Amino acid sequence: MQIINYADEERRQEDNRKLWDKVTAYFRSRSLWMLHYCTGCGAMELPPIMTSRWDIERFGIVPMATPRQADILLLTGYASTNTMKRIIRTYEQMPEPKWVIAFGSCTVNGGMYWDSYNTVNNVGEYIPIDITIAGCMPRPEAILDTMVKLMNMVKSGDAKAFQKYKDNYGYYKANQDKLFARTAPVLESASLKYVHNETEGSEQ
Amino acid sequence: MNITELLKDLNSRGLEAEKICDGEIKVIANKDNFITHLHYLQSINYEHLANINGVDYIDENEFEVVYQIYSYTDKIHIIFKVRIPREKPVIQSIVDLWEQAQFYEREVHEFYGIHFEGNKDLSPLFLEDWMDLPPLRKDFDTERFSEIVMGSMRNGGKK
Repeated sequence: MQIINYADEERRQEDNRKLWDKVTAYFRSRSLWMLHYCTGCGAMELPPIMTSRWDIERFGIVPMATPRQADILLLTGYASTNTMKRIIRTYEQMPEPKWVIAFGSCTVNGGMYWDSYNTVNNVGEYIPIDITIAGCMPRPEAILDTMVKLMNMVKSGDAKAFQKYKDNYGYYKANQDKLFARTAPVLESASLKYVHNETEGSEQ
Repeated sequence: MNITELLKDLNSRGLEAEKICDGEIKVIANKDNFITHLHYLQSINYEHLANINGVDYIDENEFEVVYQIYSYTDKIHIIFKVRIPREKPVIQSIVDLWEQAQFYEREVHEFYGIHFEGNKDLSPLFLEDWMDLPPLRKDFDTERFSEIVMGSMRNGGKK
């Protein structure tokens, strides 16, 4: 009669699972689909990266038209509040695992639009970001370097920002609501607003 | 009609017109009868309304509405300016003259709070859920707004 050591068996299964995770992570890292959705000025940087000059396809990264079939979201520059709404909607549509790369200083602290009434300062407060690239705009070489770094992170299992979004959803949702679900004016100067009165306005 | 004839013509109609450069003139009109002047300009081949802008002259307590008009036959660009008081920013709509003014006026209304009498739809065009003062007015503190809503910090905050 064969005696089964349950502790050993469990460990073996766990090792198998780890091995399977490693294998999927390895293949995933060589087959990344980036969403063809661009905000701000970085959209201009992407065509040379995707086409013959720098050719990102040799790393297995291909642009995809819809969020439901993509797994990298590129934030290529400043995000206005209207765009931020669409970015969040797009991000939440993407299947897991998913990764976000933010380009340039505008996505970190607003860049030159830091005091604008319609530009989000830190995009990382609304959706989780895996890697940010410095520069205004970053050179294609820097973007390629980031893509290789992301591939390594995916391979080693470090790119876990989407997990962070699920775990801290309350934090992200509160920040999003602060931006989109305002019910009252922010500044007192709103009382200076001119409200047109039809009866008073007609000069007949 | 060339540019000197046009200037003479407009001055004789009681408008302040002056030449800025070749093919570009500036006209200052009164808010009570500017529509008749625009109507006249349209009748002498100024068929293209390129844009309507708003300007906030807060020190003079006035708004300025600027109509950019162009003639394809004469190749002259007219910058047509009308001033209105800041306390009661109401001006007549020119939708009857140029249909596309509908959207330009909506935009100016949204960003300066200027009311266009006769424009049927002045609903928001670009801003979503905006409840504050129209953002391009000079008395709207955009930095303070950004600090409260977006958490921005001058020079990146304290080091």
